[in-house]
Amino acid sequence: MIHFLNWFRRGSLERGLDRELQYHFDRRVVDLSASGIPEPEARRRAAAELGLAQVREEVRDVWLTRWFRDFLYDLRFSVRSFLRSPGFTVVTLLSLALGIGATTAIYSLVDQVMLHALPVHDPASLVLVDWDGEEVAGGFGSWNLMSYPMCRDLQQQTRFFDGVLCRAETDVNLAAGGDPKPVAAEIVSGSYFSVLGIGPALGRVIEEPDDAAPGAGPVVVLSHDFWEAEFGGAADIIGRKLLINQHPMTIVGVAPVAFHGVDVGGVPALWIPASMYAEALPGAEDLLNSPTRWLQILARLRPDVTPAQAQTGLLPWFRPWLEENARRPGFPVIDAETRRRYLASSLSLTPAPQGHAPLRRTLSEPLWVLFAATGVLLGLACLNVAGLFLARGSARGREIGTRLALGASRGRIGRQLLADSFLLALAGGALGIALAQPAMRALLAFLPDYATDSALRPALSFRLLTFALFASVCAGLLSGLAPALHAGDGSLISSLRERAGTGFGGVRLRKCIVILQVAFSLILVIGAALFVRTLADLQAKGPGFDTASLVSFSLEPRKNGYSAADSHRLIERVLDAVRSLPLTRDSGIARNELLTDGSWRNHVTIQTDRRFTTDRGVDLNAVSPGFFATLNVRLLAGRNFDQHDSRAAAQTGPASAIVNEVFVKRYLTGRDPVGVQIGVGSGPDVKTDITIVGICASFNYRDLREEREQAFFSISDKNEDFGAAFYVKVRGTPDQAFQAIRQVVRNADPQLPILGLRTVDEQVTRSLNTERMLAALSGSFGALALLLSLIGLYGVMSFVVTRRTREIGIRLALGATGASAIRLVLRDAFAMVAAGIAVALPCAAALGKLVQSQLFGVTATDPATVAGAALVLAAGALVAAFIPAWRASNVNPTDALRLD
Amino acid sequence: MPSPRFPIPQGTLDMLILQILSLEPAHGYGIAQRLEQISRSVVQVNQGSLYPALHRLQQKGWLRAEWKQSETGREAKFYSLTHTGRRQLAVEKNSWARLSGAVKLIFEEGSR
Repeated sequence: MIHFLNWFRRGSLERGLDRELQYHFDRRVVDLSASGIPEPEARRRAAAELGLAQVREEVRDVWLTRWFRDFLYDLRFSVRSFLRSPGFTVVTLLSLALGIGATTAIYSLVDQVMLHALPVHDPASLVLVDWDGEEVAGGFGSWNLMSYPMCRDLQQQTRFFDGVLCRAETDVNLAAGGDPKPVAAEIVSGSYFSVLGIGPALGRVIEEPDDAAPGAGPVVVLSHDFWEAEFGGAADIIGRKLLINQHPMTIVGVAPVAFHGVDVGGVPALWIPASMYAEALPGAEDLLNSPTRWLQILARLRPDVTPAQAQTGLLPWFRPWLEENARRPGFPVIDAETRRRYLASSLSLTPAPQGHAPLRRTLSEPLWVLFAATGVLLGLACLNVAGLFLARGSARGREIGTRLALGASRGRIGRQLLADSFLLALAGGALGIALAQPAMRALLAFLPDYATDSALRPALSFRLLTFALFASVCAGLLSGLAPALHAGDGSLISSLRERAGTGFGGVRLRKCIVILQVAFSLILVIGAALFVRTLADLQAKGPGFDTASLVSFSLEPRKNGYSAADSHRLIERVLDAVRSLPLTRDSGIARNELLTDGSWRNHVTIQTDRRFTTDRGVDLNAVSPGFFATLNVRLLAGRNFDQHDSRAAAQTGPASAIVNEVFVKRYLTGRDPVGVQIGVGSGPDVKTDITIVGICASFNYRDLREEREQAFFSISDKNEDFGAAFYVKVRGTPDQAFQAIRQVVRNADPQLPILGLRTVDEQVTRSLNTERMLAALSGSFGALALLLSLIGLYGVMSFVVTRRTREIGIRLALGATGASAIRLVLRDAFAMVAAGIAVALPCAAALGKLVQSQLFGVTATDPATVAGAALVLAAGALVAAFIPAWRASNVNPTDALRLD
Repeated sequence: MPSPRFPIPQGTLDMLILQILSLEPAHGYGIAQRLEQISRSVVQVNQGSLYPALHRLQQKGWLRAEWKQSETGREAKFYSLTHTGRRQLAVEKNSWARLSGAVKLIFEEGSR
């Protein structure tokens, strides 16, 4: 590397060498003269002995190796030639910078969401332990759910594991002096920090004794960010008390800066030992001994064990464990067939160096789609630059011809052109990185609701820079290779003889480039059209209920220390107060909020003339009588709930249900559904003592796409009470309503946080964030791609017209009309566009399968969409080709013939 | 008519330069003259190849150079051995001795 520095001091090196050689030369002349040789002869002899020019070159080679020196000269030459043609430079730089910037920005998300290993000790040996088979036991949470006893028992399997941890995420109400507010928390086993190899930044982490018995560890560890944001990084934080869901707990430590838990999509503010589940998850049953699935299990494999080995090795232990588990309290009663499938279950171990993240599940596909799209875009930008290089190459034909004639090798000329493209690509890359940062910030703003609390950052990392460099070098090679190879052929004589402007740059190569560009951009335009249609369709369709002037919010009184009965009373009181607000037109509550990607889902057992269980989970909810009216959901048959339903005393569980149209269509066709008895659950012990009293129109519950079977019960204090979502139809502006609602809740309990107070329209918008991200980004990529390929087409057609000026002139002189000249050129252009479309269509069809799951209302090969995209492309091509064509028709035959 | 002179064997020029400089610092012309004297009528050193070699050795850190007044009163670039240069000379001498010893052995073996 020291050699490299010599480049910068080559001036002083040269001067030193000159002096040194001059000294030698003078001394030699003096010595030779002294031996009687006349001075002119002595000078001649001395010069010949020394070979000055040769020595200088050889010494320079010592300073900097030859190829490196040549390369630096090439670069300097490139810089000069770029500065001479600023227009060309700006266009090419911008194309590359856009391509590289977009790719880098998307890659940063791909990297953070999918590829980046957790900042823990040896993440490569972590595996996610999941259930493979019939799970039977109920659960709550996202994915890969396991029970706490399972984690405890796996910890005994030291033959395979160096440690096993379990964790679950939740929101808790935290009060540290002031009013309680919801924060994200991770409930973890005592082994969590030691297995991950995470030590404290301050105090201590959660340890085994904290998790030894229920209630054993009323302690929390704060995340570094939360400690700084909430407590100003106070040094005396250890030992302070705070209230978690109104239960006092002690802060025992602060986690290191870089550690954000094992889920990149959910950053906890604090960690709580699993022994405190009852405080962290109010209303939960005995979670430490029951088979309820609510945590993810991560294990650290022993160094000499592969996941596959551990998986098979665990089976002999796991089979008897299944029997034992079925005897735990709370294990559901199941029929023989289910039991057989349950006992055939096994454990699956998947490498999890990135931890567990539901975000990965939902975002990975859209992100890969976008990453592929940016890859295509970058390819397109490279092709564009290659085309421009070829054009410049032909403009420089004379210069290159002259250099060849002066003895430059073709390899040398090719290398010069490669240096051009590398320089451009690296400069484009640097510019792209600068562009990538705002692009990343914009991207993160697009991310769905559930990803906003994530650890995703618009930060440039070393990996990202490496990637951008890699992308730039690839871009340089791609865009420079064709012109560089092209510089090698073509006859020297003819290039010198030809007029400038028509020399290098074969028409065929440039046409191939344009065909590829057209194909690439058509693929992107089709993709954009599909995603835009998906978004538009979903928006037009809506959630199936009336969202106008509809406001919603949630309360979770149990996290503020309320008992189930008190919580229910408070909710009723708030509902009454909301109902009596002058700006309220209608109001209702539901146990579960709508359009949050989640639901209360269980199988339903139906008793008609026979008893059967639904073949898949039914989305359940408990609602107040006013709910359907507030959402403007029609009742198609039967009756609404009334006070009688919700106040049904003496019974456990609900007595009446309203099911939706889809439910009836799937399970109760051909009979009157009103009066049918159903029960929640699938086991043989499920009592079918709930009567269907009404049928409602279908609307969306979890998200905007899915219209599933739904069943509603009347909300009452008999339901498991985790809180309620309020829906209020208001008069006037939402802001007035927000103010009034805040006042109502404050009157009821000033300490109770109001969750998610917003209009339902906003909720709808939020739930479409992924779709909006795909539509907006693929749309802009498509537009950019179209622009790039049309510029390419325009360029090559102009070139063709210039080349054929003479031919066109002759045709015109022989009586051809201007229109026929236009036809001549347009035919050429359309042949290219047609070829491009022919290349693109099968590719688009193949790629379509990959994006199908992201679409709604259209298939990936929807003929109208594909035809529309092709039409847009063809129309653009017509405009791009018409300008040179029109110029061709205006060729003056006499001028054209005089040109040579 | 001088007797035929051999071109200097590949790789030995560096060693010779180190050897000459191990006695005392010298400038390029001085080294050339010393080479000329030592090798007179046996090996032929192209004066032009001296300077690339000097710069190479300096770049490797075996030589250091400074501008000093020469015997004629003019400033000349004097080269001298660095510590690592001295070590390198010992290494090269040693390997040269082993090589020439081996060659001699082979010749003696062949002539028996």
